[in-house]
Amino acid sequence: MLTQTDSKTLAYVNLFAVLGTLENLCELVPEAKDLLKDKPPISIGFTVKHGPKATLFFVDSCCHIEEGCSPCTIKLPFSSCEKFNGLMTGTVTPIPSKGFTKISFLLKTFVPLTDMLAKYLKPSQEDLANVAFRETSTKLTLYTAASAIAQVGNQDQSGKFSSGLMPDGDIAIDVTDVMGITLKIKDHHLTALRKPCDKPRAAMTFSNLEIARQLLNGEASAMACICNGSIAMRGMINMIDNMNRILDRVGQYLSV
Amino acid sequence: MTFPIYNYPKSQEVFKRAFKVIPSGIYGHQGPSEGCYIPHDAFPLFSSRAMGSHFWDLDGNDYIDYMCGYGPNVLGYRDPDVDDAALEQSKKEDCVTIPSSIMVDFAELLVDTVACADWAFFAKNGNDVTSLAVITARAATHRKKIVFFNSYYHGVSPWTQKLDYPGILEEEVCNNLYVNFNDYPALQKLFAEHKGEIAGLIAQPYMHGNFADNFFPDEGYWQKVRKLCDDHHVVLIIDDVRAGFRLDLAGSDHYFGFKADLICFCKALANGYNVSALCGNDSLKDVVSSLTYTGSYWMSAVPFAAGIACINKMKVLNTPKLFEKLGKDLTDGFVAAAKNNDFQLVVSGAPSLFYLRLADDDSLMLHQQWIAACVKRGIFLTSHHNHFINAALTHEDIKKSIEIAEDAFNALRHHSTSLSFNYHL
Repeated sequence: MLTQTDSKTLAYVNLFAVLGTLENLCELVPEAKDLLKDKPPISIGFTVKHGPKATLFFVDSCCHIEEGCSPCTIKLPFSSCEKFNGLMTGTVTPIPSKGFTKISFLLKTFVPLTDMLAKYLKPSQEDLANVAFRETSTKLTLYTAASAIAQVGNQDQSGKFSSGLMPDGDIAIDVTDVMGITLKIKDHHLTALRKPCDKPRAAMTFSNLEIARQLLNGEASAMACICNGSIAMRGMINMIDNMNRILDRVGQYLSV
Repeated sequence: MTFPIYNYPKSQEVFKRAFKVIPSGIYGHQGPSEGCYIPHDAFPLFSSRAMGSHFWDLDGNDYIDYMCGYGPNVLGYRDPDVDDAALEQSKKEDCVTIPSSIMVDFAELLVDTVACADWAFFAKNGNDVTSLAVITARAATHRKKIVFFNSYYHGVSPWTQKLDYPGILEEEVCNNLYVNFNDYPALQKLFAEHKGEIAGLIAQPYMHGNFADNFFPDEGYWQKVRKLCDDHHVVLIIDDVRAGFRLDLAGSDHYFGFKADLICFCKALANGYNVSALCGNDSLKDVVSSLTYTGSYWMSAVPFAAGIACINKMKVLNTPKLFEKLGKDLTDGFVAAAKNNDFQLVVSGAPSLFYLRLADDDSLMLHQQWIAACVKRGIFLTSHHNHFINAALTHEDIKKSIEIAEDAFNALRHHSTSLSFNYHL
């Protein structure tokens, strides 16, 4: 167990897991879709020195993220992982190196979208009292956490130790009758796909969204939930075991 | 032949109470999580009594038990000879201010029985003595590093755990070195890279890890490892907690033709009575004397009496040979039952500690379905761990076990065509 986080892994988590969840926000939250309505296609590239590079594409009221940032409308360079992480905490204001004429999208669309995402990922108790909000918040948190598992498993010292013990194959992370996520493992490299798994080699299934919320918030233990049956596992349990060790570490990054 | 399907309402009721007052309800390897109860509700949660090779759960369901309490049941639950010896000793004394002389009798018996043993030190759990072995190696060599073989299990103390385990500090595992079993060149390289730094090498006698086929050392492997340890003045520790006395009453190092410096015993030592032992050669006796290492119950007399009776009875029965035969008869029957239903069951490891895996899918899901179907019909197996044979296992038990296995395979065959993974067969 490491007690410290590192800024490079945090940058990967922030870019691919947190900002990557804009994909799901635009899909699940009508207000997010409305913000993008009738907007021409636009893309924002993030390039972090000695860190991650990715592009967010906004097309037809939808969003998707891709690795790399060569074909983008707006380019946001960061001189270090710490600077990029500062963007996420609001302590750093980015200066585009490309796309000056599109700055209004950044200010009037992208910032409101990320504010909306933050509202769902760090919800107030008041918002959580609304059942629909609570469900969406949990879904978005689960997408973020699963994507963060891949980033932490690929970048973090402890995460790499865990992924180094994982055999090849796909893990299904499911909430019964609600949603599914795929975590692919190939040569100890992890990739999260925000869609259900076709042919899992291992599966971890939450009996309902509330159990997922409790686990992700640290209100419940995976081991205890497996013991009382509220989380089911099957298949290559060593894959699930190591994934859960990475998930423990993810909590340290997402709470930064 | 078809068998009735078990249900567990009483177990589940008690579990609800347990979950309120005990972490996870049942923590550790004898619970639903680490015990891989898949699916969760296919397994009994609490036992009510045990006898011979059977236990009965809280709902009265009868199991032929191939986990043997994860090893301690070596002669049969409630073996009369062991229980009588323990009862007689308990009438005299057990946990007293100074030890009973029966401790010396037990140590002498171990020294006479275990090939590499010149002395014995007693504790309670396997983890107590694997930890003592590592402390001894460090004290003897004034070095820090310990070599482990990947997929090892040596207990639960922080030094046995890993970097990514909750509550385990990096500093507690930073002197652990890892290498693959049977890869002698890699081990040589590791020793060369850390020349003068390695205190000990700790290993199970063969790889009986979880979730994977178990396998033996290559021909001559242990002899090369022994020489390498001698050349580098590294203490060679055999963790015989799991395999001890099931392969060879003189120790599993003896079985594989080499001599350990330190050897750890627990599970089969006293047929369920609570005692473990570290045995070693003379050169390390004074090192152990110098350590601060003790426990409140480590000199209890009753488990010593049980241990003496257990070892003597294992000698009379020649349990390693008996287990080899019983394990082979059982697993041959399982393999045939699988084949009759167009499945391929792979058996690995020693017959006395057999490991099972259905080779028909690479996810273990089919295997987990079959194991669950077996448990629900009355044979207690696990999907992730090696199994154990005990001396009370009868030919009737084996015959019934094979029939249950066949019934479970038959159910699996009828349900697996859709691969929908309905675990309730």
